[in-house]
Amino acid sequence: MWKLWAKLRARSGKIDDDLSEEIQSHLDLIASDRIAGGMNPDDARAAARREFGNATGVHERARDAWRFTSLDAALNDVRYALRAMRRAPAFSLAVLLTLGLGIGATTAIFSVVYAVLLRPLPYPSAERLVWLGEATPKAQGISVTWINFEHWRRENHSFEEMAGFQGGSGTMTGRGHAQQLHGMAVTSAFFRLTGWQPQAGRLFLESDDAPNAAPVVIVSHEFWRQTLGGGPNAIGASLVINGRACQIVGVLRSGQSYSSGATDFYMPLGPEAGRTTKRASHGSIRVLALLKPGVTLAAAKADLDGILERLASADPGPEDDHKAYAEFLADRRTGDVRLTLYMLMGAVLLVLLIACANSGSLLAVRNSLRAREIAIRAAIGAGRRRIARQLLTENLVMAALGGGLGVLLAYFCLRVIQHAGPRSIPRLAEAAIDVPVLIFAVLVTCASGLLAALAPLMGAGRLDLSRALKEGAPGSGSGRKRGKVRNALVVAEIATTLVLTFGAALLVRSLIAATRADPGFEPANLLALELNLPRSRYQSPESIWRFYGQLLEDVRNEPGITSAGAVYCPPLAGSCGDWWYSIADLPAPARTDVPLALTNIAGPSYLKTIQARMLAGRGFAESDRKGAPLVAIVNEELARRWWLAPQMAIGHHLKLGGPYQEGETMEIVGVVSNLSQAGLDQPAAPEVFFPFAQRAQSGMVVMVRTAGNASAFVPALRRHVSSLDPNIAIQSLRVFEERLGASLARRRFSTMLFGAFAALGIVLAAVGIYGVLNAWVSARQKEIAIRLAVGARGARILGWAGFHALRLALAGMALGATCAWAASRWLNSLVFGVSARDPAIFAAACGGILLLASAAAAGPLWKAMRVDAVRNLHEG
Amino acid sequence: MSTVDKPPAPLEFIQGTLDVLVLSSLQLGPNHAYGISLHLQQQSGNEFLVDNGSLYPALQRLLQREWVAAQWKTSPNGRRARYYRLTPAGRKQVVAATSKWLRFVEAMGRVLAAES
Repeated sequence: MWKLWAKLRARSGKIDDDLSEEIQSHLDLIASDRIAGGMNPDDARAAARREFGNATGVHERARDAWRFTSLDAALNDVRYALRAMRRAPAFSLAVLLTLGLGIGATTAIFSVVYAVLLRPLPYPSAERLVWLGEATPKAQGISVTWINFEHWRRENHSFEEMAGFQGGSGTMTGRGHAQQLHGMAVTSAFFRLTGWQPQAGRLFLESDDAPNAAPVVIVSHEFWRQTLGGGPNAIGASLVINGRACQIVGVLRSGQSYSSGATDFYMPLGPEAGRTTKRASHGSIRVLALLKPGVTLAAAKADLDGILERLASADPGPEDDHKAYAEFLADRRTGDVRLTLYMLMGAVLLVLLIACANSGSLLAVRNSLRAREIAIRAAIGAGRRRIARQLLTENLVMAALGGGLGVLLAYFCLRVIQHAGPRSIPRLAEAAIDVPVLIFAVLVTCASGLLAALAPLMGAGRLDLSRALKEGAPGSGSGRKRGKVRNALVVAEIATTLVLTFGAALLVRSLIAATRADPGFEPANLLALELNLPRSRYQSPESIWRFYGQLLEDVRNEPGITSAGAVYCPPLAGSCGDWWYSIADLPAPARTDVPLALTNIAGPSYLKTIQARMLAGRGFAESDRKGAPLVAIVNEELARRWWLAPQMAIGHHLKLGGPYQEGETMEIVGVVSNLSQAGLDQPAAPEVFFPFAQRAQSGMVVMVRTAGNASAFVPALRRHVSSLDPNIAIQSLRVFEERLGASLARRRFSTMLFGAFAALGIVLAAVGIYGVLNAWVSARQKEIAIRLAVGARGARILGWAGFHALRLALAGMALGATCAWAASRWLNSLVFGVSARDPAIFAAACGGILLLASAAAAGPLWKAMRVDAVRNLHEG
Repeated sequence: MSTVDKPPAPLEFIQGTLDVLVLSSLQLGPNHAYGISLHLQQQSGNEFLVDNGSLYPALQRLLQREWVAAQWKTSPNGRRARYYRLTPAGRKQVVAATSKWLRFVEAMGRVLAAES
């Protein structure tokens, strides 16, 4: 910008210099001719000046030949616009702030949308990377079995490369305290797909995928530096993970991570997974694949489906109806955030629209006050296009300054958003006001400038010159046409604000509903201690039961701890696995209709400890052990799917795997209230609990109920674990209430932002309505005075002006209600506990807007009532 | 009352003619503003008196349209002056404009001759 300015200045300076010099040389040439003709030098110079004419005038006229042809003219307009802004500081500040807030909020949200949704993932050919899983009629994207993966990899024609991977964790021993690490098991192709390079050593080779390959491990740069000391001799050293010594063959470069959390180590997937012999044995393998150029996702999926069909006939099994599930990795990463972000983007664009309408109407009002100035300019020869260009430049200058302010605001907004935003939004921390975002800001600024300019321009174009000059008063230019434009802007503002308010009210109501939702247990004074016993030393179920039994006993003996119980998947932990089931003594469902239930494992005192309500039957007892009849507890949701009342479920038998697959049958001995597994704002899913003593699991969460402040017992719990076995790493240990709050973090975040946008919209709209009505009354002072003079009472005037305001408000609300009604369809998946078309909320939003319009109209209406008839008519 | 005939007042340029005359004068070779005005005055038999207030803006217009280019040079008598010369586009323009003006003059002459 400065360069351009400097260049222009330099060019215009050169023209001036050249002209001065040229005129001087011209004078010299004439003078030298005169001297040659016999004149003395002084007379000759005087004669030359006379003959040449007015040198300054010539200079100016020659320079003017350049003016109004190029950017010079625009710069002139800009200078004029800045002067005009300085003349009306309050007005300019109002427009600047309005535009700045609108553009700032929009830019901030866009920077988040760009970083999270639009920016390509940091892998080569990221746009062709596909995430693969298996699909059943009931579940999408479940894990791929190793054998299916191997067939896909070898037989497909759609992918350039395919890598299997699974997340996991491992306990590292042999280096001081036992430490819980996050790891991934991957096939060698994984690193080719991610494009990662080692900082030292090597990545996995095809030979590492073989079932009998030597145990090797690759560590992350961060793990190498922080835990291994960052020394150069890490390569070749051994790392004991889950009791197995692995040789470190490579160190990745810094910042290379597949998931949002840190991954400490990578192991080859092949050696362990390759031992499976059954096609249907699922681990938690997912597949990353690179689509060949030009192949569509649907075609690739059909290709994989074909392979599965061939396998189903060649090697029939229980999962012959499984299909492939394919999704672009970029979509996979952002799936559930996308809707939230698009909703916020929509909301912020509405705010921007209000800001534009507002500045537009402000500018229109001011232009009508400037009608005389414009008329004079037209009278002294400025063409209509010239005037339009000047007004447009003024708006664009205003928008540019507003945009600058907006970018500044966006920077601070983004910092707040990043600080307050939930960590579950991927790549939120990467959002920045960078070049693409700045380009967006410039585009938005230009668009808002043009949009805001539209209204006043429509007025200026129709300016009636002679009338504007004849009518004396400022504000005389507010002809009917212009009034219509302004009224339309007010209607649009009210409509947009109604949509925003309605959306915000729905979200706030949902948040309240989610916060108040019954989690099914008592979260206060509860600690969750997550453990994972190393498989090397806890192989037999007996050893696992013995460890947890002893730990629970020790913990219960700690003074101040009232109860403790173990569970596999505590509330809010999300899905820890689901499986098909059926009720053995009820009619079997069709093959494609077998229902799914979440599966969970609980010790005898778990439900008591979290104070879940038993609706029927009993909880697990010590007698429900190995060798005793198999039993299960189901949740209310499952029971109500089959029976009218929870009590009726007791005594029935639940068959795992459904009627068409192998699986154990167990007696339902209890029904428990629904526990929020996925989150407080998620609907309950059917769930089955198995007794821990009939189903050993090395990774369990010990829930501990304390008498007082739960966090005070954290050290005691750590001590009990390490005194029992110092080689066990604690995966996590935290106060459960925090987890409960965190599960609503995203909803709270989006509600907060949407609410802020709605509030901003309301303030802007109020200012806009006030401004336009005020101008309307100002322009009609004389009319009101005449009405008063011929006998109208104040009430009559109020009614007349009030009717005008009410008409605008009602038109805006009708339009807004229609839009809100239509938009509520999109909000459906984001609301909780209420309908997206909740009539009470809808009515409340309408009432609120009516209140807002009344408040904004009160000032101007008061002014209309107090018009002094005598003074006004005298002045006229 | 004077019996001596008043010398006729110099002709004023019709809108647009000065540009063409300047261009055509440059066909003879590069020249500076003073030279151009002298040339036009002499060639027209002193009928045209070139006003610098018109000549200079005309030269700037021609520069903008890139029909002429300007360069500082030293004149034969040792004075520095800004010399204008025709560009290739300017050369084309002279030909087009000259034929247009000749047609205009001829047509005008015919009409006026028929009336007198």
